[in-house]
Amino acid sequence: MKPAAATGLALLLLTAAACGTSGSSQNTTGGQITLKIWDFSMEQVEFHKKVTDQFTREHPNIKVEWRSIAQAEYKTTLPLAFQSRQSPDIFYWSENGPLNSRILLNNGWIKPLHPSGTAPDEFIKRWPQGSFIEGVNLIDGKAHGFPFTDNLYWGGGYMFMHNDVFKQAGLDPASPPRTFSELKAACAKIRSATKAECITSPNKGADVMRLFDSFAGVVMNGSGFDLKNGRFSLDDPKILSTFNFIQELNKAGYIAPGTNDKNFSRQQFAAGQAAIYFDGTWMPSVWTSQGFTSDKYSVAAQPLPDAGRTGAPGREPNLEKYFVSSQTGNHDAAWTFLDWMTKPDGFFVQEYYKGGFGTLSYADNKKMVTDPALRKIMEIAETPGFRVNIPVPLLKCPDLARSKAYQSAISKRPDWASEIITETLNNGGTLDAAAKELVTARQSALEEGLKAEAASGLKVSMDCYTFPDFDYVTDYGLDRY
Amino acid sequence: MRTPAKGLDRLWIAAFLAPFLVLFLGFTLWPLAATVYYSFFDWSGMGPIETFVGAGNYTSIVQDELFWLAVGNTVLFAVVNTAIKLPLSLVAAIFMTRRWVRLKRVFRTMFFAPLVIPVAMAGMVFTYLLNPSNGALNSILRDLGIIEKSFDVFASRWSAMLALVLVSIWQIFGQYMLYWMAALQNVPEEVYEAADLDGASEWTKLTRITLPLIKPVAVIILLLALVNAMHVFGLVVTLTGGGPGTSTYVVSYFIYQEAFGSIPFQYGYASAAALLFSFLAFILVSGQGLIVKRAQELRKEYGV
Repeated sequence: MKPAAATGLALLLLTAAACGTSGSSQNTTGGQITLKIWDFSMEQVEFHKKVTDQFTREHPNIKVEWRSIAQAEYKTTLPLAFQSRQSPDIFYWSENGPLNSRILLNNGWIKPLHPSGTAPDEFIKRWPQGSFIEGVNLIDGKAHGFPFTDNLYWGGGYMFMHNDVFKQAGLDPASPPRTFSELKAACAKIRSATKAECITSPNKGADVMRLFDSFAGVVMNGSGFDLKNGRFSLDDPKILSTFNFIQELNKAGYIAPGTNDKNFSRQQFAAGQAAIYFDGTWMPSVWTSQGFTSDKYSVAAQPLPDAGRTGAPGREPNLEKYFVSSQTGNHDAAWTFLDWMTKPDGFFVQEYYKGGFGTLSYADNKKMVTDPALRKIMEIAETPGFRVNIPVPLLKCPDLARSKAYQSAISKRPDWASEIITETLNNGGTLDAAAKELVTARQSALEEGLKAEAASGLKVSMDCYTFPDFDYVTDYGLDRY
Repeated sequence: MRTPAKGLDRLWIAAFLAPFLVLFLGFTLWPLAATVYYSFFDWSGMGPIETFVGAGNYTSIVQDELFWLAVGNTVLFAVVNTAIKLPLSLVAAIFMTRRWVRLKRVFRTMFFAPLVIPVAMAGMVFTYLLNPSNGALNSILRDLGIIEKSFDVFASRWSAMLALVLVSIWQIFGQYMLYWMAALQNVPEEVYEAADLDGASEWTKLTRITLPLIKPVAVIILLLALVNAMHVFGLVVTLTGGGPGTSTYVVSYFIYQEAFGSIPFQYGYASAAALLFSFLAFILVSGQGLIVKRAQELRKEYGV
């Protein structure tokens, strides 16, 4: 071959290699299909290996590659994978609340779970009646998602206490602080009697909301949106006074200093350098994976304001997590896997509970959970009023499934709340002005967006987001729509 | 006098240029053209590019306080970083080129080692070192009785920016020391010998010979340092995450957050921000071109 021709060929190959894509076509090697699954559960890597090995033993024609990506990167990596048509066959996505399936469908990311479009009755019956709701996980009658974790036990609102540090401070983790004042008093004892910090909490980026929403969850239903009055709620007096309490703790030196991510804070707690950590149902498995076992810490409910609870963390029918990619060429294999993983007494379920990863919506949690910390979490969550069903705007106004107004109002600056909270905690000021600015901007964006959508024919308005008969502490049942 | 290539030579020239041209077209010109195109659309990076917004993205960017905060921080970072690292690395280079200095290899390795540490790793190491709860720096200062209470360098804009600058200098210092050493080694030895004969002191030789003769190269190093510093990104991600709040946002981080920080992505907006900042950088680079041209004239004049 002449040099010029060789050069030309090399360039052609280089260009072809650079422009090549993969992912959407069927991925088969030697008659064995390779099914790709992505999520961000780094602590479940060993568990994933175990279940995928078992699945392949039972289904020799399907090999599963389950990849866990760091949570911070996942929100970027997955959309880029879709953009370049290299998405996995099954993926995990837990954003957007009850609109999750609908938004993913609008993005063009998902297809029905079952290749025929209709999931068999036997599959649907694995969940309690009413788990499949049109507009939430059923779209045009076709199941596009399924509840994965349950929505009573699963979520934030738990206080984890380091047993040794509590004991060193002369405190009994079996009698945890139950009110804001008791928490403050406990922190004073911990700081004076031990070398440990009182509360450790991540404050880098959006993770600061883990602490803030834990407190805001017992005065409203979180700091985001007031469903009773139909407005963003960060500037609500109750939320602002909650912030002021956190600022008080901060100024008193009861919150560990530093600009820390969640991994640092969790390690700080596990190492006995802090007494208290606020987070969710997933923590027992995270700590188990780090060798910090549940006999070394205790769990209690989030302390309440001294005057009592005025809100409760919300339950929503939004716990669809795993979806079938619209780009998959292995739809049959994807369905086979999802069908296998959701068998209520199957290998996946048994190993999931052995790992203490949490509670599932399609299995008997009371029978299956053995981890003591997780059992305690379940006991706490079953306390009446601990978590309440909050109103679901989509069920009031089905056209919201096609509305982008709420998403647009937030997506312009999604981390705005965490940014101003971190900044204010650091400068020792008050949140009032910055919160008002955020609420004004988002509220007007939402109202204008809804008006524009209504003008284009959608039946949407602010009324869809307003539930005057909701009181933040009582279940808003499906019969009230 | 230039002789035009003929016959087979032309083919060879084309063959050798082609790989570069293809890569330049594919990885420089095409992305640039695409960025210009995207900046006129409201596009998430997915699906068809349909919503033409004209100059809408640019109008929004110009009114976006966060963008200007990021521009301010970027310029501040670049100027302070350059103002500290260049004199320091020059002093180190002068020291390293002295004949009487022993263990030059050890020093060179020490100064150069941080450069081979990935930025992400450097960021993580310093995050732990500077942590007020259990970081080494606070522990040492507390144990020595220099401070009573731990301090968090990342809790305020100015201390966080200073930390970014200093960590960046720690990492890049060796590279600039090498640049200076290369410049210093170009100063003709005879000039120093002549100065020795005239009884010039070390200080006189430094201020009257060394610095004037390396001035043309110094201009180039200065502008390289400024432009490189304006690209800061990795350290911001790992050390401050743009915080506290948004107070240490720099332009690269702003663009990344706009492009990928929320779903749906805002490619159009991010593209406009990138181009607007590129325009500002272009002004700087154009200025650089003029100054470099003058510097080259000076180099010829001084024969270095």
